[in-house]
Amino acid sequence: MKLTRRGFLGWTGAVAAAAAGAQTVRAIGDLQAATYEAELPPRGIEGWVASVCQQCPGGCGILVRTITGVEDGVKRAVKIEGNPHHPISRGSICPKGLAGLQALYDPDRLRGPLKRTGGRGQGQWQPVSWDEAIATVVQHLQGLRARGEAHTLLLMAGQVRGLMQSLLLRFLDAYGSPNYLSTASGCEAAQQTLLLTQGIAAPIASDLENSAYILSFGAGLLEAGWSPVRQARAYGHLRQGTPGRRGRLVQVEPRLSVTAAKADEWIPVRPGTDGALALAMAHVIVSEGLFDREFVEAWTFGFEDWRDPAGTTHLGFRSLVLNDYRPEAVSAVTGVPIQTIVRVAREFAATRPAVALAERGAGFYTNGLYNRLAIHALNALVGSIEIPGGTVIQRRPPLTPLPPVTRDAAAVRGLAAPRIDGAGTSNSPLASSALPWLPEALRTGSPYRPNALFLCYANPAYSVPEFVRSPDLLDRIPLIVSFSPFPDETSRHADLILPDHTYLERWQDDPIEATWGPAVLGLRQPAIPPRHQTRHTGDVLIQIAQGLGGAVAAAFPWKDFGEVLKGSLRDVAGTQRGLIMTTPFEEARQRRQADAGFWLPTYKTFDEFWSQVAERGGWWDPAYSFGDRERAFRTASGKFEFFSQTLRQRLETLARRGPASGGGLEGVLRALDIRARGDRVFLPHHEAPRFVGDEKEFPLHLIMSKPMSLASTRTANHAWLAEIPDVRTSRPWEIAVEINPETAHKLGVKDGDEVWLESPAGRLRLRARLYQGIAPEVVHVPFGSGHGAGGRFAEAWGANPNRLVGGEADRLAGTPALFATRVRITKA
Amino acid sequence: MQTTHPQAFDRDDVLFAPVLRTGRGFYAAVAVLLAVAAWGAYAYTTQLRYGLGVTGLNRPVAWGFYIVNFVFFIGISHAGTLISAILRLCNAEWRRPITRAAETITVLVLFFGLGSIIIDLGRPDRLFYVLQYGRLQSPLLWDVTSITTYLTASTLYLYMPLIPDLALLRDRARGWRRQLYTAISLGWRGTPEQHRRLERGIAVMAVLVIPIAVSVHTVVSWVFSMTLQPMWKSTIFGPYFVTGAIFSGMAALIIAMAAVRRAYHLENYLKPVHFNSLALLLLTMSLLWFYFTFAEHLTAYYGGELAEGAVLFAKVTGPYAPEFWAMVVLNLVIPLAIMANRRTRTVAGIVTASASVLVGMWLERYLIVVPTLANPRLPYARGLYFPTWVEWSITAGAFALFILLYMVFTKLFPIISIWEVREGRELGIQEAYERIESYLPGPGVGAGGPIALR
Amino acid sequence: MARWGMVIDLDRCTGCQACVVTCKAENNVPVVTPREAQAGRLMLWMTVIPEVEGEFPRVRARFTPRPCMQCDHPPCVKVCPVQAMTKSPEGTVSHVFARCIGCRFCVQACPYGVTYFNWQAPTWPKDLRESLNPDFAIRPTGVVEMCDFCHHRLQHAREEARAEERDVRGEGEYVPACVQACPARALIFGDLDDPNTAASNLAHSPRAFRMLEDLGTSPKVYYLKEG
Repeated sequence: MKLTRRGFLGWTGAVAAAAAGAQTVRAIGDLQAATYEAELPPRGIEGWVASVCQQCPGGCGILVRTITGVEDGVKRAVKIEGNPHHPISRGSICPKGLAGLQALYDPDRLRGPLKRTGGRGQGQWQPVSWDEAIATVVQHLQGLRARGEAHTLLLMAGQVRGLMQSLLLRFLDAYGSPNYLSTASGCEAAQQTLLLTQGIAAPIASDLENSAYILSFGAGLLEAGWSPVRQARAYGHLRQGTPGRRGRLVQVEPRLSVTAAKADEWIPVRPGTDGALALAMAHVIVSEGLFDREFVEAWTFGFEDWRDPAGTTHLGFRSLVLNDYRPEAVSAVTGVPIQTIVRVAREFAATRPAVALAERGAGFYTNGLYNRLAIHALNALVGSIEIPGGTVIQRRPPLTPLPPVTRDAAAVRGLAAPRIDGAGTSNSPLASSALPWLPEALRTGSPYRPNALFLCYANPAYSVPEFVRSPDLLDRIPLIVSFSPFPDETSRHADLILPDHTYLERWQDDPIEATWGPAVLGLRQPAIPPRHQTRHTGDVLIQIAQGLGGAVAAAFPWKDFGEVLKGSLRDVAGTQRGLIMTTPFEEARQRRQADAGFWLPTYKTFDEFWSQVAERGGWWDPAYSFGDRERAFRTASGKFEFFSQTLRQRLETLARRGPASGGGLEGVLRALDIRARGDRVFLPHHEAPRFVGDEKEFPLHLIMSKPMSLASTRTANHAWLAEIPDVRTSRPWEIAVEINPETAHKLGVKDGDEVWLESPAGRLRLRARLYQGIAPEVVHVPFGSGHGAGGRFAEAWGANPNRLVGGEADRLAGTPALFATRVRITKA
Repeated sequence: MQTTHPQAFDRDDVLFAPVLRTGRGFYAAVAVLLAVAAWGAYAYTTQLRYGLGVTGLNRPVAWGFYIVNFVFFIGISHAGTLISAILRLCNAEWRRPITRAAETITVLVLFFGLGSIIIDLGRPDRLFYVLQYGRLQSPLLWDVTSITTYLTASTLYLYMPLIPDLALLRDRARGWRRQLYTAISLGWRGTPEQHRRLERGIAVMAVLVIPIAVSVHTVVSWVFSMTLQPMWKSTIFGPYFVTGAIFSGMAALIIAMAAVRRAYHLENYLKPVHFNSLALLLLTMSLLWFYFTFAEHLTAYYGGELAEGAVLFAKVTGPYAPEFWAMVVLNLVIPLAIMANRRTRTVAGIVTASASVLVGMWLERYLIVVPTLANPRLPYARGLYFPTWVEWSITAGAFALFILLYMVFTKLFPIISIWEVREGRELGIQEAYERIESYLPGPGVGAGGPIALR
Repeated sequence: MARWGMVIDLDRCTGCQACVVTCKAENNVPVVTPREAQAGRLMLWMTVIPEVEGEFPRVRARFTPRPCMQCDHPPCVKVCPVQAMTKSPEGTVSHVFARCIGCRFCVQACPYGVTYFNWQAPTWPKDLRESLNPDFAIRPTGVVEMCDFCHHRLQHAREEARAEERDVRGEGEYVPACVQACPARALIFGDLDDPNTAASNLAHSPRAFRMLEDLGTSPKVYYLKEG
């Protein structure tokens, strides 16, 4: 064929047209396929399972909607709703709870036990059988015990409570290690506040619904409180629950958080000065005689100056605040105008009931515990302790105690060893666990080198600043066993991963703590059978214990966790109090009966009790006796102590025990970096906060928050939540550093610019967002995203501000001072 | 070669030339345009496969280039039929060589208007649901109705004056062309009766097509102004769009005329005087356009409503300011500078001004569609729009294909109405003379004599 | 016949966004990639609009949940060329996505921005597909979708009521997922024409207003202002 120009062009055109035509046909075919195939998810038979959420420590009751497929017979969980019978959630649910489905169906979940094949942190694994995995652990642990090194087993746990925590503690007890390390440090500090003032090591709860005035110092009431569901409901009730009454909310913190935005008044305060502000308010209340005289006289200790049996006069709270905390002086320290201090103090004292909350915002500084004490002192001043609308101490459900452990010689020897983190010593005299000192212990090998680490719902390589920066510190431990169902950062360093079920696949009790007064026991039960070759950590622990044999095995005589659970509920069934969770109407009826002296249970036998608990989601005892002060004040004086005799006793014991750094109490105080001397040490007072980083070089304060969508460290892989990380900015998949526009202008940073956030400890590249709701000297980064592991979504977005946090701590409380880091910002 | 009009052969030969002879330049141009069009088609198949996600459209800017092109193309369509009809009805004698070129633009460009809508659909496979389940209340359905009517009317209006020329071609062509022309010239022999009927038909169509044309762009504007969106909900939009349409249409016509004049050596037919007349019209339209634009923006500014203000300032000083001021320069400053001055009002100058207007009017359409969408009433959802390669390619492909089709048309049909030019020579001069005379003071006219309009 | 409406108490709302997530779960609303989301293709039938105003330290922020307003005079229905947007006799606006041609005219017409377009075919990782709600079909590419007050829940309630040979009660039997989830009880749902429902009473509260009320769309979603 002769190829002419015209012919060539013609052929070219034809070929192009044919190609385009073919692609069009294919495209339309694809389009049709996408349209008409697989449009309806599999239908089936509906079921509802009552259970308890575990996306955060709230312990809300949930109902899981399941569909058992008609065609394939597979039971699927398709929706989570609130359990209307559960007193905490009352039919509602929060975004995290809803996203629980994305934990259950997390595409990156671990599907069975894994053994590390590559180097630590490289993420190379090989599946092993459960028997083999457990045998490996048992062998290692047996070796330790044989060598007399039982105490070198560390168990690090996060959000664990109830029987699971009892079993973990029991395991350590029987095995012989004192080293239970808690990553839930915020809770620890809250317990110490009550310990020092009321003599009870329990978190402070409050009866928010019935309060008329909430003065919150940095509490993430509407973002990350204990049970966000119950707190949101309480907030709704506070505002519009009673016709004609609208309770007030005042929020003190350097940043306009969601809570601050919803508050009637937002009081920006300089970082770390919350305690001073509270004491200035106390000054106003005391000097103007607005305090609850009756309560203060009858039920507090150390308000007035007092004389001890030895005849020494001691400083009272009244003199302290009148002398040291004049609003004029405090205004200069806190940056809060004098008028505001005076006005809010008057409002707080004049409105009954009013409650002052001290939470993470005020507590994450080096003076955190003193701040909390100062704030809680406000509650004592207005008598808001153990009254409706005031602070309460949550009752515990009467679970049957586990039988006592008989320790063998190895256990006794192990338990006699000091804790690896020095908790309870001059490191942190009040703490039962002091995580901030673990990295140092690992680095120096002092007091000893740990030989095994169990990780139970703990991910220190993400949540503990020191480990975020150098996770390889963990590699000094020869055996690390993770029970995480997800491939998180710390599990990457493990030798074995023995994945637990997700909470929607397992049996577990959930006694609520720290939320409000009444005792509540939720029951977590499988919504669907376990999807993968995972195993309940309780079962695994029992199997390990039984593998270890001897006294350890004897301490774990059960078949599985279910048996422990059922056994523990027997006392609840037999207590002749409380009721199976039910509708508010039914509850009211039963309560009226109870008031009249009847207790008419809906069950006769334990089996009936059990099946009703399983059907409804739990048991609770609505009765809460307000004003039971004997229960609430377990101090030496039997009263609320402004002057903490508990603290004095602890510190003096320490001083007597030996010179940690110099002699006597002075040495202890110096070791704890407490600047106050004399009686002030034992009174709520303002300790000037210490910060990491030079003020000139690092002019800004870094604070963090847990937004509603990011609980603990695990929800970052839930795409639903990643789409809505922060309601204030409404930017999907974005974690940014919030800067005051004035500050940003000085730095030449515009909204949306990429910046470097640098602290003495590290640096982080982030997008900058200008936000009027933040103090000019403060920047804020939400915590909970920016994972190096944990799944496709988690690894795709956000940033972890813990990378920047320096090594400061509240040494008295033994908690990390997460907000005590200075930073600077430079354009990237 | 047999011919029924041997006397005309020599004189208007150049008008037949493009149809009967084709040079290399033409094929080169076709190849280039075909390549661009094919690339556009490829882009569209990509869009079909992966969904509209391949474009830069988003929330809230869910309409972008395609709708801009739709409005623009429909606007261009006013070049032809409307201008030609008005000139015909006014007996503007200088219309004769330009009506065909104008009407062709209308008919061809309407396909691209409709095509843009189809390209914009998320589900083009369900296109016929519009007929099946159509909802008369929807302005989109009004659009479908009025555009199809317009297309039909314009096609007829293009076709009717084409018949005598088809007969001329029938007598000159051979092979398949001869068969084609024979079939579509409908047995035209040029009898007086045929002429009378044709003229009457053309006159009726000329009257009909004007309200249809006006309605088309009014309805297009209503797609926007029937909503509650800031700076869309405007009563001025109907006439504003029609004005803009005629404005851009004339610019397109001038460019098309200049192109065929140059390509087919029609300097003798499309004279500077034709360009000059159109230029004066274009100048008028430019001022009219500015008047509307000014009125539109001033009311939005003066009222000071927040939602409208957000759109206005996004255009005037915000992210769309470069486009906005470019539009003002291209649509007003440049045309005014060139065409208000007799020295620069040359053919080259006029074409330059027209090109400027064409770009400016595209920007105008863009600035009507996008800034309003980017700044909706509820300010939380503001956004920006950055088209991707798909939109650019499809747009380029559409323009290329349009030019290609226009070129092919000139190869099949004379782009200048031969018989009308001849008619002008034979009858028009006399008629114009008489008409002008009738305007003048003289016997028999003062008492309300016959009005010399056909 | 009931006229279903919603009251949103802004004083109770804490901006927690449970309504947003439950809506995604209930209606199988697809999750898009981070890049797509940042390009403005996020799909949230229910969303919470934040507004921050003022200068430090006098700053206020407000959160406004925004479902479909379910207008009595819905602009989206009028403009739909294929009658895919429809208003039921009970006044509920819903969208038949099997008929939608994807012209997005409704998207332009809605002053509240409640309509969402499927820019591409929704995809889920294999495991996550397991949790899809069988009550609601997954939308294909190229069509619009939006909140319809969880119409499938009304159908459920109606079936149950029909079995007992009565109408669906004006309160309590049928609530959209967002109303059920709301922990602060900020969302109240019911028959606006029934004077005995909390929703109809609150809609007449002096605190009540409707979004962009002056546009004449007559939304059936009422807001109660703070204070």
